[in-house]
Amino acid sequence: MQHRNRYVARDIALFSASYLIVYFAFLVFPVIYGIYLSFFDWNILSTKKFIGFKNFVEAFGDPKFLASFAHTCQFVLLSTPTIIIIGFLLALIAVRPTKSGKVAETVFFLPYILSTTVVGTLWAWLFQKNFGLFNQILAQFGLKPIGWLTDPRYAMASIVGATIWWTAGFNMILFSAAIKQIPDEIYDSARMDGAGRFATLTKITIPLLKDTTLLVVILQLIASFKVFGQAYVMTGGGPYATTEVLVQYVYKTGFSYFRLGYASAMSILLFMVILIISGFQFILGKESK
Amino acid sequence: MMKRTIGAAALVFLFALWLLPLFWLIITSLKAEQDVMTDHLALFSVAPSFVNYAKAFGGTDILKWFKNSVIVASFTTLFTLFLNSTMAYVLSRIKFRGRNSLLLFILAGMMVPFEVIIIQLYLEFNALGILNTLAAVILPRLALPIGVFILTQFFKGIPEALEEAAYMDGASRFLIFRAIILPLGKSALFVVAILSFVNAWNDFLWPLVSISDSAKYTITVGIANFQGTHGTEYALIMAGAVIASIPLIVMYFIFKKNIVKGIAMTGIKG
Repeated sequence: MQHRNRYVARDIALFSASYLIVYFAFLVFPVIYGIYLSFFDWNILSTKKFIGFKNFVEAFGDPKFLASFAHTCQFVLLSTPTIIIIGFLLALIAVRPTKSGKVAETVFFLPYILSTTVVGTLWAWLFQKNFGLFNQILAQFGLKPIGWLTDPRYAMASIVGATIWWTAGFNMILFSAAIKQIPDEIYDSARMDGAGRFATLTKITIPLLKDTTLLVVILQLIASFKVFGQAYVMTGGGPYATTEVLVQYVYKTGFSYFRLGYASAMSILLFMVILIISGFQFILGKESK
Repeated sequence: MMKRTIGAAALVFLFALWLLPLFWLIITSLKAEQDVMTDHLALFSVAPSFVNYAKAFGGTDILKWFKNSVIVASFTTLFTLFLNSTMAYVLSRIKFRGRNSLLLFILAGMMVPFEVIIIQLYLEFNALGILNTLAAVILPRLALPIGVFILTQFFKGIPEALEEAAYMDGASRFLIFRAIILPLGKSALFVVAILSFVNAWNDFLWPLVSISDSAKYTITVGIANFQGTHGTEYALIMAGAVIASIPLIVMYFIFKKNIVKGIAMTGIKG
């Protein structure tokens, strides 16, 4: 007992030192440094010049920033509802205690473990205009090929399509974990009262998943706002920059134009969007408790 | 009966639809290049072969990239386990003032997306002079707030009495951590290990930014780079994508339960 109390401070320090050093150096510090840099005009070769909020002012007047932000928002609006609803429907299949339920879980989740670049290169090939699988299938029905990734009207939707296939399984797992927690007795008594399958779904399952749905929506919004890799690999931002998303523009501003202060300011704006979304989770989560 | 058959048929169709892209990935990787760039929708008009795999291994740096990814993912996993379990031990088993604030401070890290700190990290590693090394790829991935969260929750559930008895026998915290907490926390450690390995293997943006020498690419960056250097050699690119995915697919079928559990645990945090 003596030993335990005497060395408590030393033990806390020794046990937590390595984590805290890494956490400070590569997470806390970069965040603070980013806020600091966002107030400077700096392109790696020049000396840093303090310019107050000018980077932020510039961003709101920069057509490329506004366009890339709009493309990110477009991706968010297209992907969030579809990925969540499809994830939910897949969960309804995967939670059934049958063999096909188990297979469904395995199959629908499988794409999620592939890397961004594998998904990106694979779907770029499936969507390829002349020889890609999808246009070849269309040709079988006598239909004209579609410029999935080369036509500005379809490019973003195609990226969303690939993302649905890739990540719907993640939401499926969250939903099915929550559905499994609903006690069987509730369903049993509903059945006794003569509730049909559809009524049980809308009157019991969906209302009871309120908290999980909120969480899934928040996680999905955050993930969607960060979109970059699959779009970058599939289109490189094209055609005519119509799929150039915010993270790609930040990346370009920092590493191609070397405008580090400006790029940091745009990162901070993205961070603020994500913090606001996380804040909603906090407020709504408190209300429901 | 009729309804059932329709349901089963719909399910099979859905499975086929979901697996079609992967099926086509493998098929394309086994095709001869002239069989790829054709208008005919056919599985194979020339016999399937491993020529693209031979080309990938022989004519590109893919083996190097694969090795780099193995190094990055293994070291990331190992160090993540060490850092996160010791931190979680402090937060779960030692009582002290400010413990909850410390936990909140660490969990707040979950709200910081990697995409937001990429420029600053680049500058930091540049200043440290270790840009363009595998260490640069590994370091920012080690403090994994979600890992601390999972382990802290789990360690809290280990009965107090076990520890008490060991203290009575004069054991130090280090011994208790090693001999009691770690063995009993095995299943949670395993979940964190898998999350960490998968994240490290699939990481794209940070290795893309921090590595400029193509011999040091991880496999995700290497495959993305294939598109630039091998433009329309789709069969070769698909072979590369298959090679890049094999470790994770094998892991998935062995550890599916743990992977799914890890995801479900991330969900509980709300």
